[in-house]
Amino acid sequence: MAQNEVLLRVENLSVAYGQINALKEVNLEVRRGEIVVLIGANGAGKTTLLETTLGINAPKSGEITFKERTISGIPADRNVRFGLCLVPEGRGVFVSMSVLDNLLLGAHHNMKNVGRNLKRVYQWFPRLEERKNQIARTLSGGERQMLAIARSLMSAPELIMVDEPSLGLAPIIVNDIFEILVYLNKEGYTILLSEQNAYKSLKCAHRGYVLETGKVTLSGTAAELLNDPGVREAYIGA
Amino acid sequence: MQTFIAQVINGLSLGSIYVLLATGFNLLLLVAMIIHFAYPQVVVFSMYIAWVVLRYTGNSILLAVLAAIVSSVLLNLISAPLFQKIMKNREEVDINTTMVLSLGIGMIITDILSHGFNKGLPIAFPAKLVGETPILRVGVISLMGGQVASLAVGIVAVSGIFLLLYKTRPGRAFRAIAEDPNGARLVGIPLLRTGLESYALSGVLGGLIAVLLAMLLGYSSPGLGEQVAHKVLAVSIIAGLGNLAGGLVVGLALGILEALVQGYISGSWSNAIAFVVMLLVMLFKPRGLFGIKL
Repeated sequence: MAQNEVLLRVENLSVAYGQINALKEVNLEVRRGEIVVLIGANGAGKTTLLETTLGINAPKSGEITFKERTISGIPADRNVRFGLCLVPEGRGVFVSMSVLDNLLLGAHHNMKNVGRNLKRVYQWFPRLEERKNQIARTLSGGERQMLAIARSLMSAPELIMVDEPSLGLAPIIVNDIFEILVYLNKEGYTILLSEQNAYKSLKCAHRGYVLETGKVTLSGTAAELLNDPGVREAYIGA
Repeated sequence: MQTFIAQVINGLSLGSIYVLLATGFNLLLLVAMIIHFAYPQVVVFSMYIAWVVLRYTGNSILLAVLAAIVSSVLLNLISAPLFQKIMKNREEVDINTTMVLSLGIGMIITDILSHGFNKGLPIAFPAKLVGETPILRVGVISLMGGQVASLAVGIVAVSGIFLLLYKTRPGRAFRAIAEDPNGARLVGIPLLRTGLESYALSGVLGGLIAVLLAMLLGYSSPGLGEQVAHKVLAVSIIAGLGNLAGGLVVGLALGILEALVQGYISGSWSNAIAFVVMLLVMLFKPRGLFGIKL
């Protein structure tokens, strides 16, 4: 894994909302083919890190490079076209629109390959094809999360950032979602995942970072983090 | 019976204009996140532009339509930076400031029309646009060719705009921003550019409405914009602000109701009726008949 090229590199990134420093000098990298997990409690800065990478917030200082190009300060729609995408926290699907419309929104910048991508996504998520004309409001929580992931695939991303996919889902559904992420990773997608559910996410990730009040306090391979006494105590409860 | 049929046709053509106006108004509300109270004034301004072009081109309808569309798009695009400038937070509709700015724009347009064109007197559109002789005449009611044509064009335009909203890529982006601006940004939809597209689209719509109104009414006046603005606001509030499908139903219903009142009671009551309906709806269904969608 170590030989693979660095796809995303975050260097000394600081982000502030007014007076509040949400991220302080964060360093992180994601290599092509990896699943990297960001572990942290509520308010640790996980969502800020992902959204800043996408281009929603402007960093106070530091640099983000993706495919060896600086992307910090570039608006989100251009980064999406460049191969980044985010599956928002809380399954941000458009509930008053149909499943198909949601998927097509994911393809907003990639309408050329829409037919092929739809076919592929339906192959992976047959339930979405069955419900393509249903309004997204009628889907269950797990199905909405699947739709949000499927939608992100429609933009043909190289790095998928997934913000707390397990939030508010039953444990059995959470297992399904992580299985999907591992499967997508095997299909060649690189994944940066943020999670409070440290045990399950580290089980499927290659490497991880622990984020505490805006700072990276620990990083290592998934196995190292799983065996770290601090991580076990704080995030796994063992 | 003939009165009834004539007035239903009349009402449908008036109603389809209300639908288009409410749709343009709602588009700006949902996608650009502004209350453009003066949108009908923009439309009436474009009627005047069409009138001028008709006069100087020997009644070329094609050029008049193009001029109306261009003028309405330009007016919308010119006001866009003003609106965007005063909006600090693009994730919410700032009703107060955008409404004040919009009222100001409306007054300026009305003043320009009353000082700059035809000495402030109402303008009449040529028979070539309105129709030479009535197609149908029942008692005091007569149906002109322009009225029937405006109904036909109105139906095509309403279907077109709804197809665009529900079946095309920009329409999807509009609806996504309307539902959740932040979510739309997270999937990579550019808010500012899509907002500008909605100004342009409602401008195109405004130009078409200008021509339809000219065909239906046969005249225009500086004060027409304000009258229509009240009606559009009533339609949008009765339907539920931002509710496109609701605007479709209520716009057509109000058009027919007004025409029937005009046919059987008196034309001067039609305004009052729209507002009585609005007051009743606000008393019993404060979110409108079909619900606010903001």
